[in-house]
This record gives sequence, C-alpha cells and structure tokens, in this order.
Amino acid sequence: MGKAIAIEHVTKRFNDEDERALALEDVSLHIEANEFVSIVGRSGCGKTTLLNLIAGFLQPSSGQVLIGGEPVGSPGPDRGMVFQQGALFPWLTAIQNIEFGPRNRGVPRRQRRAQAQELIELVRLDGFERKYPRELSGGMQQRVAIARALANDPDILLMDEPFGALDELTRSEMQLELLRIWEARKKTVVFVTHSIMEALYLSDRVVVLSPHPGRLRAEVAVTLPRPRQRSSQEFMAMYEEIHRAIF
Amino acid sequence: MPSSSDSSPRRAWIRRLRRARPAVPDWVYGLLTVLVLLGLWEYAVDHAWINAYRFPPPSKLARTFEALLERGFPRGVTTDVHFKATLWRILKGYTVATVFAIPLGLFVGATPLLERAVTPIITFARSVATLSLLPLAVAWFGVGEFTRVFLIAYGCFWIILTSAINAVQGVSKVYVFAAQSLGASRRQIFVQVMLPASLPRIFAGMRVALGMAFLVIIAVEMIGTIEGLGALIMEARNFYRTDVTMVGMIFIAIIGFTLAKTLAWLERVLLPWVTDLEEVQR
Repeated sequence: MGKAIAIEHVTKRFNDEDERALALEDVSLHIEANEFVSIVGRSGCGKTTLLNLIAGFLQPSSGQVLIGGEPVGSPGPDRGMVFQQGALFPWLTAIQNIEFGPRNRGVPRRQRRAQAQELIELVRLDGFERKYPRELSGGMQQRVAIARALANDPDILLMDEPFGALDELTRSEMQLELLRIWEARKKTVVFVTHSIMEALYLSDRVVVLSPHPGRLRAEVAVTLPRPRQRSSQEFMAMYEEIHRAIF
Repeated sequence: MPSSSDSSPRRAWIRRLRRARPAVPDWVYGLLTVLVLLGLWEYAVDHAWINAYRFPPPSKLARTFEALLERGFPRGVTTDVHFKATLWRILKGYTVATVFAIPLGLFVGATPLLERAVTPIITFARSVATLSLLPLAVAWFGVGEFTRVFLIAYGCFWIILTSAINAVQGVSKVYVFAAQSLGASRRQIFVQVMLPASLPRIFAGMRVALGMAFLVIIAVEMIGTIEGLGALIMEARNFYRTDVTMVGMIFIAIIGFTLAKTLAWLERVLLPWVTDLEEVQR
C-alpha cells in the first residue's frame, strides 16, 4: 500500500552565493496515499530535483519532506525509483536485475525467485527472464526497470521520465501498462515528465512547476475516468489549461 | 514500385549474388594477398632483384624454421626452450602486475582523496619509459630473471592501475543511484555495482598492457641470457643470421597473437553482457 508524501516549504539551492542555483523555492505539495501525481514543467524547473528530494538523493536547504509522517532520510527501498532508459545493470539478466533489491536485503533465494517470477508475469516479460538488458527493446527494458523498483514492494514509486526515450507507439503502450500495473499493485506514484499529454493521460493530479527559481505554478486535478480519450473535449481543455500555466 | 522491381530477373540475379558472397570468408582474401606477396618475394630473390642474404626468401625461412625446431639456435637451444622462457616471463610479469594493479586501482578509484594524493606519482611512473629503467634495474637486481620479470611487471602495472582507477571513476552514477534506492549498502554497491561496471575498462587496460609486455620482453631478453625469443633474435644478429631473426619474429607474433586471443576469449566468457558497440568504443 502507498504512503502519503508531504512536501512542506521546501527550498533547494545548490550553491549559496549564486541566485540562479536556486532550484526550488518554497514548494509545498501534499500527495495522498495511492495517488498518481505527475510533475510537468520546462527544463530547469526543478522537477527532477523535487523527485530526488523525495528519493533522498538530495536534502532540502530548508523545509522538509515527510513520508507517511516521517522525515525522509537517505535513499531506501521504501521508495522505488524508475529512471530514464539505461539504468538497468547491464551485467545482470532481467530476472537478476529484478532480484537485486530483495537479494541485498537478505530475502532467501527461493522466495525472491518466486517474487521475481511473479513480477516478470506482471510486466509481461515471460520468456525474457535470462536476457541481458542489451538484448531487450527499450520498452522491455523499462518493464524490467518497473519490476525491479516494485521488487522491494515500496510504498512509493518515483519515476523520472521513464518513457522519455521511447518511440511514440511504445510510449503509449507503456502508459497503458503502467496504469494496469498501478491498478494491480497500489502505490503512490510521483511521475516526472516533459509531456503534458502523458501527465494528463496517467495522473490523478498534474503539478506544474515554473523555472528559475523552481516554483509551484499550478495544480490541475484530473477527474476524467480511465482509460482516457486523448481527443476528448475535456482532455483538450485541460491540456490547454496546463499549457497556459507552463508558458 | 519495389514489389515489381524486386521480382525482375535482374534484381533476383543481384540478390543471388549478394547471398552468394558470404560463401568466401573474409580471411581468404587476406591469405591470398599474403601468398601473392610471398610469391613475389621468392621470385624477386630468385632473379637476384633483392639480396637473398639480407632478405632471405620464404623457402629459406621454411628451412630455418625446421632447423630451429630440430637443432636450435644457438646450437642446442631449441625453439621450445625459447618459447617457454619467453612465455613464462610474460605470464609471471603480467600476472604480478594484474594481481596488484586491479585491487589497488579499484581502491584508489573509490577513494577520491587518495586518488588526488597519488595521481602525480602515477602520472610520473607511467611516463617513465619502462626500458629506460633497464640500467637501474640491472644495478638493483643484477641481470637475472628477477630483473626481466620486474620490468615486464612494471610496464604493465601502471597501465592496468590507471585503467582500473579510471574505470571506477567512470562508472555511471545512475547505477549507484539505482542501487541505493534498491536498498543496497555501500559494500554491496562496491562489490555488485562498481566492480562489474568497471570490468570492461579494466580489460581494455589489460589488453594495452599485454602489448607493453611484448615490447619489454624482447628488449630485456637481449641482455644476459641465451634463452627466450628476444635472445634468439639478438644472437642471430650477432651472427648476421637474418633468416633466424625473421623466424624469431614469426615466433614472437605467434605468442602475441595467441595471448591476445586468449585474453579476448576470457573477456567474452567473463563479460558476456558487454555489447559489441561498447567494445568498439573502448
């Protein structure tokens, strides 16, 4: 089950003297348990910084990030991370990649193998267990990446432009798959993307950040039932609304 | 329209031609070229266009080859003795260098402060041409086996050390981030992420070091010994036996080729996940 995330008056600067090094300024955001939230905005708006703060790779300069009421410490298995393509361990096969987390946390071999096999089925990669990442297509690699992040059964799934490097068709296929997986294993999802369409198609809520310094510009709740029609009137109206907020 | 032109007889003929081509393996062309050149060489010597004494023809080299296997050069020191001596020296020096350089390189590469502290030493030691150390090594250790193995090890050590340090530092941060978010400890990340991710570059360094080992071995065998392929070549020079020198060169090439292939094979077995593309980039 997912956990709620509370981002409270978070400011992040990378260099104290330089004003431009202000990546995020006074950002507050509450994400409910099991909510799917996308963060969109132009390059340099601090989307990834915000994600890295939740993941624990970065610490806020001021303010705090709480997960299930607890302040975030270092990165941990309670927050699964899916990166853009190329973050799978190329020296491990698909199933070994998925088992990486459980194995290092001391889950017995038989148990973790069974879990991994279950995840392979969840992401529909049956028959590709023993392939190395280089032998898999971009979409398949991201399926493995999602399964790997889920293997620790995290409360939260953090996704940093996971489908950014995929072609259009594979991308929409993966969006559908992600929703299916999210239905199967309820998690709180924070999804960073450049694509307004993608954000609208997937999320319960779309958060718009503006750059230099990164500030929270707008929040749009997407109440349309899933699966959503990208060409529907309501969808297009929301697209326009977010587009205006960004520019 | 592709469909109609595909079925035309002319297209079909070209397709058949293309399909037929792989029937002749690439190496056949190379072999043919070599044979033609050898033939020309033989022919040129036969017609006294070039000096048979300075450029012994292939037929003479073949006889020398046989003689070296049977009687040896200098007399009694047969080819297998030379082979074994050279191979052993290379294996000893190279293994010593590898065994020390890889763990040390991994450690230094993972410890930024240490890396900064020792970089000048490594840069200096690496820049010293190994063979320029020969007089010094002889003064320290004499002209025995130890000196020879030491110099091979020295030449290889710094190359592998540098490659191991660079390899660790070049490991993509995203692997480390991924491992951290999956709950791996620092030790687990080092052993299960940094180490495997470094191996392709370490192997690249080992390949370069093998070339260095050959450069050094021939030179160090030219002093104080009559055993080894370098010694064979040197002795042949003293007796103006160009044919023996050339056959010696061929022997050296055989060992070099075999070891390089062995290393490549080892890499394929140990690192099956490395793509061909990455091999080219390295």
